[in-house]
Amino acid sequence: MLGFVLQRLWQAAIVVIAMSALVFCGVYAVGNPIDVLISPDATQDIRAAVIAQYGLDQPLWRQYFAFLGRIVEGDFGRSLVYSIPVSELILTRLPATLELTLAAVLFASLVGIPIGMYAGYRPHSLVSRAIMAISILGFSVPTFWFGLMLIMVFAVQCGCMPAGGRGETVNLFGVDFSFLTGDGFAHLVLPALNLALFKFSLMIRLARAGTRELMLSDTVKFARAAGLSEFTVLSRHVLRLISIPLVTVFGLELGSTLAFAVVTETIFSWPGLGKLIIDSITSLDRPVMVAYLMLVAFLFIVINLIVDLTYALLDPRLRKGRA
Amino acid sequence: MTGTMTGPLLEVTNLKTWFQSGRGEIKAVDGVSFSLAPGEVLGLVGESGSGKSITGFSIIGLIDEPGRIVEGSIRLEGRELIGLPPHELRTIRGKTISMVFQDPMMTLNPVLSIGTQIKLALEAHEKISAADARERAIKALAQVRISEPERKVDFFPHQFSGGMRQRVAIAIALLHRPKLIICDEPTTALDVSIQAEILAEMKELVAELGTALIWISHDLAVVSSLADRVAVMRSGNIVEIGPALGVLTRPQHDYTKALLDALPSRAKPGQLLLRGSGIADAAPPPRKSATLNLPPLGSPYLVIDDAMKRFEKPASLFRSLAIKSGIAQPLPVVQAVDGVSITLKRGEVLGLVGESGSGKSTLGRMAAGITVPTSGTIRLNGKPVMSDGRNARKITTRIQTIFQDPFASLNGRMRIGDIIAEGPLAHKLVTRAEAPIYVKEWLAAVGLDPTFANRFPHQFSGGQRQRIAIARALAMQPDVIVCDEPVASLDVSIQAQIINLLIRLRAELDLSLIFISHDLSVVRHLCDRVAIMYRGKIVEEGVASTIYADPQHDYTRRLLAAVPVLPEAAE
Repeated sequence: MLGFVLQRLWQAAIVVIAMSALVFCGVYAVGNPIDVLISPDATQDIRAAVIAQYGLDQPLWRQYFAFLGRIVEGDFGRSLVYSIPVSELILTRLPATLELTLAAVLFASLVGIPIGMYAGYRPHSLVSRAIMAISILGFSVPTFWFGLMLIMVFAVQCGCMPAGGRGETVNLFGVDFSFLTGDGFAHLVLPALNLALFKFSLMIRLARAGTRELMLSDTVKFARAAGLSEFTVLSRHVLRLISIPLVTVFGLELGSTLAFAVVTETIFSWPGLGKLIIDSITSLDRPVMVAYLMLVAFLFIVINLIVDLTYALLDPRLRKGRA
Repeated sequence: MTGTMTGPLLEVTNLKTWFQSGRGEIKAVDGVSFSLAPGEVLGLVGESGSGKSITGFSIIGLIDEPGRIVEGSIRLEGRELIGLPPHELRTIRGKTISMVFQDPMMTLNPVLSIGTQIKLALEAHEKISAADARERAIKALAQVRISEPERKVDFFPHQFSGGMRQRVAIAIALLHRPKLIICDEPTTALDVSIQAEILAEMKELVAELGTALIWISHDLAVVSSLADRVAVMRSGNIVEIGPALGVLTRPQHDYTKALLDALPSRAKPGQLLLRGSGIADAAPPPRKSATLNLPPLGSPYLVIDDAMKRFEKPASLFRSLAIKSGIAQPLPVVQAVDGVSITLKRGEVLGLVGESGSGKSTLGRMAAGITVPTSGTIRLNGKPVMSDGRNARKITTRIQTIFQDPFASLNGRMRIGDIIAEGPLAHKLVTRAEAPIYVKEWLAAVGLDPTFANRFPHQFSGGQRQRIAIARALAMQPDVIVCDEPVASLDVSIQAQIINLLIRLRAELDLSLIFISHDLSVVRHLCDRVAIMYRGKIVEEGVASTIYADPQHDYTRRLLAAVPVLPEAAE
């Protein structure tokens, strides 16, 4: 097990380094931040001074190694726009995004898996057909449109839900959370629902397909022949057996939702990372872009590592031979 | 409970279980009646599709959609089971009637420990604390002769062999001391020696606990070793039922007679089996090999010299570095075939017998040039079968293979005409213009309608597919055919047809065969010489009749003793 973890960490390190090179070169190609930083009527001397100050006169590889060196020291640079350290800037925005995506993915899983399993258990019932219709809708409706509809119906027409922002937050362990206050929770519901829709549909489909297949398997037949109740068969046998693909998708979706909650955050003015990165791209705030992309890569790696470790927890066949 | 000591335990009357399909109703079980006394063992025998398993599932109330019981009655101790609400049926399942399934690899849940699975089965019918459940689980495992049950109760199914898993399944079926156990082909997926052990243990347990047993099987010999009475099923009906000895020695119904006649153990070795067709099939097309310079029949032809095959797990980059620097041990290797030398004479049928994992298939694959040996040579008529070098490959078309599973070995997206013509065209045995006629000649030679050439594999039954596979192998005009369990997945009557086909073609084409099988009676019937494999080595080799009459090696003796034998037919 330890060897396996070490091996994965080693692979993760390689991926992070490769990612840093890719990101750095990619952002370098996007454009010159100096044009945004200083006013067009600045003199040539000021221009040269600023360029030297940010190290932009060095060749690409030197800039890259200087950048790597600073990262090792924990310094991601200063935002060119906000003039505060990038790490600080990202840390103020990260909790909001984490809260939103976790709420969305947990909702999708906790609600989607049970009703998906029901749809697989009784594939021909009317309720199951309705569940499948909803999931098809969830796949085909564009997120932004669904978000706008939510705002229109619940915020504008009914007025029962807030249209945007985070609402009142509680500071816990130095981090702000919305879901602990009534007002904050109300602010969280609509964006989380919007973000969850696609994942929700995906979980339904996966749980249904897995359950449907397993209900015909000898394992389930044998469990039934031993007199197990249908609930025990579903909760103890079927759920455990379909959990591996579910965990895989859960991990992938958690990662991509964290990284690309942009649309939902923009629609609901949710002050998360997605909004930050869009603003940084328009203003060519290079350090923020680089740090953000590195963070996304890092999160994906961590999530995948956790998913792999969960596999070993879920399936005893994978534990053997990796000891 | 109105059952008295003298009344039957189970009474099935006019049971009809039908399946709704797009093409109308499939009458899987169509009017089955029988009764079972307490403690009695009933063998339910039939070929696939005869409805024997569906009968078992109907009794325990586990018929899945789109099937349903349309008519009849199933009375357990006088209580009608058909029409009981699901929750009442559930209280009977596992407690009064339990069931053991065919494939122990599929029945146990791979992600739950044995102890947990036994606990769930216990909790289904009684309230029990975790500690008590564990205690009971250990006892249950001990009852089915699993050694060190205290340790093994925490094992997961993959840590057990097939025979052990089936024992666990039987332990679960026995937990609540049911009055009836339905066993659906419980030993079919196991090796003969394991089968013999489980049969003996089942016999003892049933006698000890007074449990009645319905033993569903396609294998008459297995049933005869266990059952008090035998019922023979065919297309949803019981055609004959009676005391086991009577049915098997003095069969009354034609179908029972046909089943018995199809068994190779009942025929003289080498003779065509009574019920297999194929005597009047067309002669195979002429072969170019007639012009080749082949050695005379009976001289050494395919020579395997000190063949060895090791399977190594590929090590990761990390591990191979660690191994090189001496930190880690190399991964364990599997020595599938361990220095085997054997000679196949021209025109001979050599049987390769062994249990699963003995290396017989690997040896066959090396002989056929499919698997590259780790060391050793394989020569056909003095020339190597494989090329040398790093990327060794087969360099002869004179050896062909027939595989076990005709469903997996034919490409489902190709027409069978193309499947058969593919090899001969690639090796220029026929021209494109000649191919259609060539294919038709071969189809006729294996007893299929030549017009089938345009069909796809899924349109054929298992036996027909195996004929197609034989035609495909023979169309390459080989002298040697490696048959890897070619009849293992077929029903006895189909098996008899394929055996007859092989006997006939072998004589007509002067073929040499390597016949790999775990079925000792088929091997005895078909083979001139037999080699017994055990753990990668050949432990005994010789003329078939000698080995069967007077086995020298311990393992051969054990193997032969494990084969269930039918009572001799009364003349």
